[in-house]
Amino acid sequence: MPWKLLLRNVLGHKVRSLLTIGAVFVAVFLVCILQALTSGLTRTLDASAANRLLVQSAVSLFVDLPLSYQQKLSGVEGVDAICKWQWFGGRYEQDKGGFFAQFGIDPEPFLPSYPEMSIVEGSYEVFARTRTGCVVGKQLAEKYDWQVGDRVPINGTIFTRIDGRPWEFEVNAIYESSSPAFDEQQMFFQFAYIEESLEQGGATGPDGCGLYMLKLADGVDPISVQRSVDEMFTNGPQRVQTTTEAEFNRQFISMLGDVPQLLRLIGGAVMFAIFFAVLNTMLLTGRERTRDLGVMKALGFGNGVAAGLLIGESLLLCVTGAGLAVGVAMGLEGAIAKGTAAFIPGFALDQDTLLLGGGIAVVVGLVSGALPGLRAARMTTTRALQEIA
Amino acid sequence: MAAAIQIRSVTKSYSRGGEALRVLDELDLDMDDATFYALMGPSGSGKTTLLNLVGGLDQADSGVVRIGDEDLAAMDGGELAAWRSEHVGFVFQGFNLLPVLTARENVELPLLLAPLSKRQRREQAERALELVGLKDRMSHKPSELSGGQEQRVAIARAIATDPQVILADEPTGDLDRDTADAVLQLLQRLNRELGKTILMVTHDPQAASYADRTIHLDKGKLGRIEDNRAGQGAD
Repeated sequence: MPWKLLLRNVLGHKVRSLLTIGAVFVAVFLVCILQALTSGLTRTLDASAANRLLVQSAVSLFVDLPLSYQQKLSGVEGVDAICKWQWFGGRYEQDKGGFFAQFGIDPEPFLPSYPEMSIVEGSYEVFARTRTGCVVGKQLAEKYDWQVGDRVPINGTIFTRIDGRPWEFEVNAIYESSSPAFDEQQMFFQFAYIEESLEQGGATGPDGCGLYMLKLADGVDPISVQRSVDEMFTNGPQRVQTTTEAEFNRQFISMLGDVPQLLRLIGGAVMFAIFFAVLNTMLLTGRERTRDLGVMKALGFGNGVAAGLLIGESLLLCVTGAGLAVGVAMGLEGAIAKGTAAFIPGFALDQDTLLLGGGIAVVVGLVSGALPGLRAARMTTTRALQEIA
Repeated sequence: MAAAIQIRSVTKSYSRGGEALRVLDELDLDMDDATFYALMGPSGSGKTTLLNLVGGLDQADSGVVRIGDEDLAAMDGGELAAWRSEHVGFVFQGFNLLPVLTARENVELPLLLAPLSKRQRREQAERALELVGLKDRMSHKPSELSGGQEQRVAIARAIATDPQVILADEPTGDLDRDTADAVLQLLQRLNRELGKTILMVTHDPQAASYADRTIHLDKGKLGRIEDNRAGQGAD
């Protein structure tokens, strides 16, 4: 195989080659990112704990449950601990365009129920006895350069203060997470802080709780607890829906539609578009090279070399584009993971994703080169030379 | 002198618009070794078809095409390609150099098929370019050369593997008179000094006068064969 000729053919049409490489780059980069997001979603669901159940209103996640339910739920056999989760939906005063999740929780059962969470700075005990305290994820603290002891002003959108001022939280502790299902861009504060403010008339907002988390005792069958809880509130006052954490996460994600399927469809459509673009380029290239390939055959090069030159050129363009895409995706992995952590905590470019990106490029390169290559191999030397005239 | 090229009862037809068009019709022809032949005839007389058959680019429908000891009709496509790479050099009207390669790389191209080291290929290519007077242009790409220089590079490529037979299809068709004369003189030198057998298709009687003999074809059949050597002035 005349490798130098193959390389010179690619370099001989710089603009065309760069555009083709660029197209493959964008497509493979997009596929890698979409696949990583899909894998991230799957990883998040897979990492969800099996011994935690979530109780929400059967009507909607946006309808709060009565606070009195906590007492009733504590009597369900097999439930080891109960913790409130209240979506706060506030906006950080210093970053109005930014978003991160804030939840009101019960400090005492919270930390023991989430062993994937570990305090790396500050003190959880201080948080537990500080009404205005909060625990923040490491990534969130790094994003806003928060230190233990800092005060964080949050404007409430669901819960608003009567005096019109933002809620103030004191950072008492910073946590790390060992699970993709529990991201490091969250803020937890005492549910009692909201509750007291509402009771004292210092704030307005709904007076229930969005979710109850039930931590199950070891060896308890989650399905039997699920059934017991749902049956307990069949006649109201508010019917509930109890799900495993994984199912809850799945439902939460599916509120936007079948996201993984959508991501796969987008990735597939992009690859098809690029396949046709590369194929078109290679068919044009094959036609342009008819003269050269005819001459080479006349000189004694076989049909395989004629086809190989076109297939090799196509492969070189696609693999170069894919290599760049994979390299850039790997370089941006950390930044993308941080950016998507609030929605998809498990974002990561694993080996399978990178192999998928590379594999697609190889297949597109082979098929796009094979069609003009086959034409070149089949064309007789005399016909190829006649096309010159 | 033994016949280097033997054509016996060769017939070749092409299909045009659903009808078979007989381009060569029971053609018999012998060509001697180390002789420069010009092949003339009106358009459609079968000149290029004959050249293609002798060069192993195409195969006859019937008859025998024998080059030296080789019967080309008995070879398949792969064998013909391998045979071409060793025994024949081609010079085309449009030069047909690969535009992305330099002059030396173009000349080296057929040498890739020979069992030579990189250094040997380079030396052989440089020798061929020196022979055609273009050693100082070997790093230039075809677009940086004149038409005459391009054709000389093409001739260097044709002789790089040291084939016995050189086939030239209208090699001066795209050149002005002076440049054409220079190219024809070069072909004549290759014949006289290196003993190459040359078969050149041409429409130009002046180009044909450089050959030792002129073969006339008409409607696929052999016409007269002229011996130019007696009154040959060009040198």
